[in-house]
Amino acid sequence: MELYQLTAEKLSAMLANKECTSEELTQSVLRRIEAKEPEIKAYLTVCAEEALKKAKEVDQKRAAGEKLHPLAGIPMGIKDNICTRGIKTTCASRILENFVPPYDAFVMEKLHAADAVILGKLNMDEFAMGSSTENSYFQKTRNPWNTEYVPGGSSGGSAASVAAGEAVVSLGSDTGGSIRQPSAYCGIVGLKPTYSSVSRYGLVAYASSLDQIGALGRSVKDVAMVYSAICGRDPHDATSAVREYPDFAAGITGNVKGLRIGIPKEYFGEGVAADVKEAVWKAAKALESAGATLVEVSLPSTDYALSAYYIIASAEASSNLARFDGVKYGYRTQNFSNLTEMYENTRSEGFGAEVKRRIMLGTYVLSSGYYDAYYKKAKFTQLRIQDEFNKAFEACDLLLTPTAPDTAFRIGEQVDDQVKMYMNDILTVTVNIAGLPGLSMPCGFDGKGLPVGCQLIGPKFSEQVLFDVASCWEQQNGGFDLAATLA
Amino acid sequence: MNIDIRHLAKLSRLNFSPEEEAKFSGEMEKIVELVEKLPNLDASGPLIDPSNPMTLRPDRVENKPNRNELLQNAPETQAGCIVVPKVVE
Amino acid sequence: MRREGDTMDLKNYELVVGLEVHAELNTESKIYCGCRNAFGMEVNTECCPICMGMPGTLPTLNEKVVEYAAKMGYALNCTVNPVSKQDRKNYFYPDLPKAYQISQFDIPLCEHGWLDIWVNGQERRIGITRIHIEEDAGKLIHDDSFTGTLVDFNRCGVPLIEIVSEPDLHSSAEAKAYLDTIKSILEYINISDCKMQEGSIRCDINVSVHKPGEPFGTRVEMKNVNTFSGAVRAIEYEAARQIDVLEDGGTVAQETRRWDDIKGQNFVLRSKEDAQDYRYFPEPDLLTIVLDEDKLATIKASIPELPNKKKVRYIQELGLPEADAVLLVETKEKSDFFEAILAAAPIKAKNAANWVLGDVSRLMNEQNRSIDDLGINPAQLAEIISLIEAGKISSSAGKQVFDEMLQTGKAPAEIVKEKGLEQVSDTSALQAIVVEVMANNQKSIDDYKNGKTNALGFLVGQCMKASKGKGNPALMKEMLLKYLEG
Repeated sequence: MELYQLTAEKLSAMLANKECTSEELTQSVLRRIEAKEPEIKAYLTVCAEEALKKAKEVDQKRAAGEKLHPLAGIPMGIKDNICTRGIKTTCASRILENFVPPYDAFVMEKLHAADAVILGKLNMDEFAMGSSTENSYFQKTRNPWNTEYVPGGSSGGSAASVAAGEAVVSLGSDTGGSIRQPSAYCGIVGLKPTYSSVSRYGLVAYASSLDQIGALGRSVKDVAMVYSAICGRDPHDATSAVREYPDFAAGITGNVKGLRIGIPKEYFGEGVAADVKEAVWKAAKALESAGATLVEVSLPSTDYALSAYYIIASAEASSNLARFDGVKYGYRTQNFSNLTEMYENTRSEGFGAEVKRRIMLGTYVLSSGYYDAYYKKAKFTQLRIQDEFNKAFEACDLLLTPTAPDTAFRIGEQVDDQVKMYMNDILTVTVNIAGLPGLSMPCGFDGKGLPVGCQLIGPKFSEQVLFDVASCWEQQNGGFDLAATLA
Repeated sequence: MNIDIRHLAKLSRLNFSPEEEAKFSGEMEKIVELVEKLPNLDASGPLIDPSNPMTLRPDRVENKPNRNELLQNAPETQAGCIVVPKVVE
Repeated sequence: MRREGDTMDLKNYELVVGLEVHAELNTESKIYCGCRNAFGMEVNTECCPICMGMPGTLPTLNEKVVEYAAKMGYALNCTVNPVSKQDRKNYFYPDLPKAYQISQFDIPLCEHGWLDIWVNGQERRIGITRIHIEEDAGKLIHDDSFTGTLVDFNRCGVPLIEIVSEPDLHSSAEAKAYLDTIKSILEYINISDCKMQEGSIRCDINVSVHKPGEPFGTRVEMKNVNTFSGAVRAIEYEAARQIDVLEDGGTVAQETRRWDDIKGQNFVLRSKEDAQDYRYFPEPDLLTIVLDEDKLATIKASIPELPNKKKVRYIQELGLPEADAVLLVETKEKSDFFEAILAAAPIKAKNAANWVLGDVSRLMNEQNRSIDDLGINPAQLAEIISLIEAGKISSSAGKQVFDEMLQTGKAPAEIVKEKGLEQVSDTSALQAIVVEVMANNQKSIDDYKNGKTNALGFLVGQCMKASKGKGNPALMKEMLLKYLEG
């Protein structure tokens, strides 16, 4: 067994017991990156030197008897839309190709304080807009289960790196499913936390009211460990909740006895593949046999969530991405004779097609004469969806659904059909629209041997319950099966 | 449906070649058709949530500015300033 | 050439003016980040990733900005909304790093207020539509020696309030009075430095003209008005321009024009067709601004009597001349001091005003100090004025007591006693002085008798001198007259 194959939980214990050093572990993961990257292409930047330096530093601290965080010395990857001081942060866009932030995101400060080892920056769909990581300006990341297939997106690098053993855990961001869907496609665990529980300071904004940073890992406990390390009030994020959080990893019981698990019928409709439904049902039944009860619930406005999501997200994106204008940072065209040309050519050359589509859509739904019919109506639809969730959570403690309608698709298969691509998000966007926590866990494979993801959705700040339920399922499986990708 | 792509492009500070514009037009129409699926509901009244009050920041100076760091990513600088094409008012 | 403040010839048109005043607030830090809110610093040294709009940065609202704006709201008799929000105003410009300004759109912090202004000897009430908070933009530096434009971000995120009036102003003089009153209130409640030369208070002006009895004319907005005298010129220019257009049979175009104060002209900035589409929407990075009742009550209670109201009270209740009232309410410190003197003893308001505007103001100028730093105890100054009013000391002795008091800190009564400054009103004692002065000044007596009546003043002065300033001048004058006439 190589070190890179182990979970953070196991490695944390080994480091604490001095069964290995962080340097050895980091070396192991770096070697794995070197071996797998030509094929997987998960990383945009690898910081081998800095990572090894940090690993040695942590080893010294440990040798000196310092009390260390459970994540101390654990090598992890960071999605490239999270600002890292002194390390390029590109959002996989030409417009930020050479951008080096002079500041760290709040989550990076937290990870540095926890002495995590940062391996580098992970590929994604440009500005987190996409569901396949094909919208990266730099490279296409491949699914470690089958490299002909996409890893999902937008946090495709975050998911593929963890699945392939190129990182022990990683950070991603989720605006409409961008952590959960690639986690499902890559057969790992991914958490999109409650909106406001993790600071967005330093996360390059796509849709401010929906974006949330979260964790990806190969076990439920790994994800809980990372979430515990990054959550918490940040006075620099006005939307960050003022509250205290427990140690979620330590709090996991795996006990589901008495829990009512809601099965929303709208999430098992025609558009969902039979293989997926079957695998998800198997997990539901297993949880029932472990003491939970399954209840059918209804979320009638689910059908409207995709529209509301694309309107709200694009509207915010059109405004959030206006700052990329060639003035202060990032790409500036060589081709201009006045200010307007500088703006237009910079942005037209700097942004990819999908980003332009969403900027245009966002501009449209906010523009004079259309605001009420689109943006405002979408915001009121959002309230209705939130109300329906609240009502559903009176009848159950959490919901269980498929994460995505199908398993991973072939690279290039959907790039020219935006509507089909957007439908990938149909089961995940509701969670962002409602500000809820959502967790995707592996629940088997389809006929092609590709992983299927099962989504757990809870009320706000119910992450502990989601971890318990996922952990129960994980224990029944004797851990999730990544043997193929870690080999 | 009639989406004025040129107007939106102007507002967004984007430009498209005629071929791109034609392609975009078609794509946009399909996307707008998708997102038009919204329920019939009363969307009057302001968009405000009184149940979600904001914690305000105390009026304290806390930054230590570093001009070199702030300008290090700028495409063009001169005399401690960022340079843009001449702005005519 | 007409002077400023003269009423311009409107050729039987009525003028309608509405004003949007932008005032920078004098908080310690900026509105959405912890950068120093300072003017005149070296370029790009008072900015940070947040106010420079770097990717991933977020705004956090300064509580003082909300408090100050609410204060102005109460000062202008507005409803202060306990629940309000902020919105993004989207447009591209190199001085706006995020390419949107965080402002307030449909729910401003304050609305539905009014302000009384004093014009041509009477009060007029001007409606206040709203007051909202927003961030200032950076500065563009143009230089002919250089092919581009330089951007300095120091001013980005300086807190602003925008005060929007109803179209209730009908002359440039009213507009000037409105602007002066707004400025004095901002200074009175100490929320803005109002330094015009630093651009910390600026305005946009909406002007239209129409014939009496007809509906309002087409409105033209003028931008870039940086001084109040410039506002007067801009309004008069624009009114005359619109009247000329109409008189020539034309129609006024709805447009935005840019005022050039040096040229004394305005120019089209953009027409109605080019009107910007700002695509306002609620700022998702900020939550709701909620002010509870206690907070609002505290802010409301902190509003002092305002200078416009004080001035009218001084004129109407204290009987002061308008000129005195205007000077006394110039600063809150000055009027507070004046009122403290009045409160300390039953003295005449005019006498107290004379002291404050005379000797006290002179000292302030000489020492370049604020009134509070001069170390004058208002009760003691009131005592001096009382002594003069009661005829116990002469007014020249009063000044002596005042100077001595400032130097030694002794009480006026003590100084009067020590220096023997009590005024002599004993006629037998004064009789001897008058006789002696008459004996030594035959020429003045002759002059008086020959009709040069001002010789009397000289003789009174000589008597005062002989009495070492202690003789009651009124009594001595009376006695002199008796001799001269008798």
